[in-house]
Amino acid sequence: MHVSLFVSCLVDQLWPTAGTATVEVLRRAGCTVDFDSRQTCCGQPAWNSGYRRDARKLLERTVSLLEQSDAEAIVVPSGSCTAMLRHAPEVLADEGPLRERADVVAARTHELTSFLVNVLGVEDVGARFERRVSWHDACHGLRELGIREEPRRLLRRVEGCELVEVTSSEECCGFGGTFSTKHAGISVAMVDSKLEAVEAAGVDALVSSDAGCLMQLGGRLERRGSAIEVLHVAEVLAARGSA
Amino acid sequence: MSTLRPEDFRSNASEALRDDVLRGALRKATDLFGSQRGAAVAQMPAWEALRERASAIKAEALATLDVQLERFEERARANGIEVRWARDAAEASEQVAAIAARLGRPTIVKGKSMTTEEIRLNEHLEREGHQPVETDLGEWIVQLAGETPSHIIAPAIHKTKGQIGELFAERLGIPRTEDERELTRAARNALRESFATAELGVTGANFAVAETGSILLIENEGNIRLATSMPRVLVSIVGIEKVIPRLADLQVFLRLLPRSGTGQRLTSYQSLLSGPRAGPDDDGPEEMIVILLDNGRSTLLGDDELRESLACIRCGACLNSCPVYREIGGHAYGSVYAGPIGSVITPGLQGLEKTSDLPFASSLCGACRDVCPVKIDLPRLLSRLRAEAVEGVGASPGLGAPPPRRLERAAFALWSWLAADSGRWRLAIGAARLAQRVGLDSLAPPARAWRTGRELRPLAARSFRDLWRTNGEDRQ
Amino acid sequence: MSARDEILARIRAGLRGANAPPAVGSPAVGAPDGLDSPAERVAAFSRNLTAAGGHLRVVRGAEQAAIALGELVAQAGARTIALSDSPLVGRLSAQLDGPELIDATDRAGLLEADLGASGVQHAIAETGTLVLETRSERNRLVSLLPPRHVAVLHADDILATLGDALAAVDPGGTGAASRAVTFISGPSRTADIELVLVVGVHGPRELSVILIDPRHEPPTP
Repeated sequence: MHVSLFVSCLVDQLWPTAGTATVEVLRRAGCTVDFDSRQTCCGQPAWNSGYRRDARKLLERTVSLLEQSDAEAIVVPSGSCTAMLRHAPEVLADEGPLRERADVVAARTHELTSFLVNVLGVEDVGARFERRVSWHDACHGLRELGIREEPRRLLRRVEGCELVEVTSSEECCGFGGTFSTKHAGISVAMVDSKLEAVEAAGVDALVSSDAGCLMQLGGRLERRGSAIEVLHVAEVLAARGSA
Repeated sequence: MSTLRPEDFRSNASEALRDDVLRGALRKATDLFGSQRGAAVAQMPAWEALRERASAIKAEALATLDVQLERFEERARANGIEVRWARDAAEASEQVAAIAARLGRPTIVKGKSMTTEEIRLNEHLEREGHQPVETDLGEWIVQLAGETPSHIIAPAIHKTKGQIGELFAERLGIPRTEDERELTRAARNALRESFATAELGVTGANFAVAETGSILLIENEGNIRLATSMPRVLVSIVGIEKVIPRLADLQVFLRLLPRSGTGQRLTSYQSLLSGPRAGPDDDGPEEMIVILLDNGRSTLLGDDELRESLACIRCGACLNSCPVYREIGGHAYGSVYAGPIGSVITPGLQGLEKTSDLPFASSLCGACRDVCPVKIDLPRLLSRLRAEAVEGVGASPGLGAPPPRRLERAAFALWSWLAADSGRWRLAIGAARLAQRVGLDSLAPPARAWRTGRELRPLAARSFRDLWRTNGEDRQ
Repeated sequence: MSARDEILARIRAGLRGANAPPAVGSPAVGAPDGLDSPAERVAAFSRNLTAAGGHLRVVRGAEQAAIALGELVAQAGARTIALSDSPLVGRLSAQLDGPELIDATDRAGLLEADLGASGVQHAIAETGTLVLETRSERNRLVSLLPPRHVAVLHADDILATLGDALAAVDPGGTGAASRAVTFISGPSRTADIELVLVVGVHGPRELSVILIDPRHEPPTP
């Protein structure tokens, strides 16, 4: 299948290895991947901060770029940005041509793990990763898109990888975009509460699908001097050795 | 009275984060209520259908609110209830104070009511020389301590039994104890005296039924039954959004509310009250007065999006599920309505002028929306209020004028200008990388705030688009 | 403009253009199935009453009910019993030997009574709930003030669901209608101090139901 990658601005600039890993995994699953390097940000941070005009401007631009691709699917290694694109129709217009164009783009847009499992029907991506890992359900993937089982199914098929479920897997990490800096104290308290169970589980790595969450979880773990590594799910799915 | 204000949300929250006792108690309470709720919901296969139904009933009631209220008024009057209306907190409080004055400064017993907390009825009554006594155990503890409730379901959750033991020893003159049963018995005895002499009972209501002109009150303790059946006069202050069309609708809410709040199949007591006593051979008040309160609700009603928040049935599930509330508790919000729903209705009722921090006190994780028994889309409403706070997007006149956020606004305008063009975007990223290399990034307030508790992941030396250009597109 | 007219005017102005279709269909969503027969209703009621913290004694007739009441009074060591004006309660208590009997009008006595006895107008199998209506009986304070409440229920009055109970009660305030309908599921309870459950905070700490069920087969010894 021919897919177009919307890599998200955070992955692009902060977690590029998640982007290259996404491409790798998609190709292994039999896709051809194209990437329009004119893409920037979908506008989600502005939208969630209340700056709706700025957000609409960026979202409309993103929709205009993505609709130019002849790919059958648009794949995003982020639940948050996928949710923004899925909501594009109602964010951009109540009706009219723009709404229709956004509808077409939204219908083609998929979060990476959901795309692999639900669209391609692939669970074993031929990965090998010999570590104990725990999964963090990124809120927008889980609650906006209903993605719960997909990443777990993929991780369970990774050779050598042990998936350890923790009670706090569905708890928010406290990132929340600008929330993480506007209310830094609360945000840190939230990530600490979440990490308690993760650290108790004795895992090597915490895996998730949103770069924002990974920044938050990783930044806090590093500050706490923890040895737990944070990884984007694509990095695990692309792994071929004992890393 | 140690009343915190919504405009001080940031400092209130910081204070709460430093209070380990509070946070331990919060964790315990929210975990317990959350797990009990989960267990109760798991045993109700029709849960989603129930939520749909409740949401539809509330939408119907709100869309026809004028008709429902007129019907309620007509039926309640036919039942012998005196129905009054109050535009705002002051009007409602004055009406209650006037009734108390007519009764000659009687003992006033109160049932737990968010609405009377909202209008600060106790403060008003005390200023007028009356002595309202809260009778819900948690509310009474909080009142004795000169504090305010911190949780809808468990008002005194922030206090330990040690603190309560000390408080009772000091205020009731009983021997100091930390035994919950003994403390509860002491409260029962003390409050029985108030009930025995009370001439005036004051309550809220969970629902008002238009079809029959009745109000329904839900509780576990029995203090509301006492407050509504012992005093000579009963005044119930009911928000106008509490009205539902039909008596039969109550079964939907009775299946949802206790399960959502405490995980109970049903609370110990529901009182469906439709009028004063029938005659001398009957129990109950001689006079029953219902005050229908607006106090900003009609402003929320007039907003097509925010109207949804009036469907709230005050179960507290969104508080228990909220990762922000779970860390800071109810007091920090500076409003009787805390948590996600509080961050919507407090600005809705008071305007954004002093409450504009509240809609931002959320990571928009959506846990609240998943548990809401009436399916209020809280993240969407919070997001809408954020837009109101920064841009006045819907320009709802009732929401007032929030303080300007010039710097942030400029930052987002710059961001969107840069991101609107890939050339500019590349240049901006290059500049940011350079700034990072020489340490200038630490001047940015968000970076500084981030680093208060976390390491900041640096911009990658080579972005994905750089890597794609060199390795990506030439393959396959 | 009066407060009433102003509020209604604000509401009408706010609702201009708003519309929501009436919530159609039956509100009996989530009502349990399988409560069609009296036996099923009795079984479910018993289960749910017990789960809610109530106690149950099942008897076959009034005579046994009077004995059960006597036993409950003796167990509690109750010296003062407050009675509702239900004729059935009057008959059952006539055989009580020993305790002082007071009636529902005696408010000072009610505050001191050890046990209150009332009838029950309906019960709800779905939730194990007793429904007390004031049109039938003076029951509000008798069922509330004493630390123990004994309620006498006929099996035929057990309805299946909350919806059935709402359809059965008459809460209109005029004439013979009930000014108060009280739904009771278990004892008075609180968890306001460190979330520890304590019963009997304001109302009865003990709720006992004497269920008169002529179809009841006592377990063979």
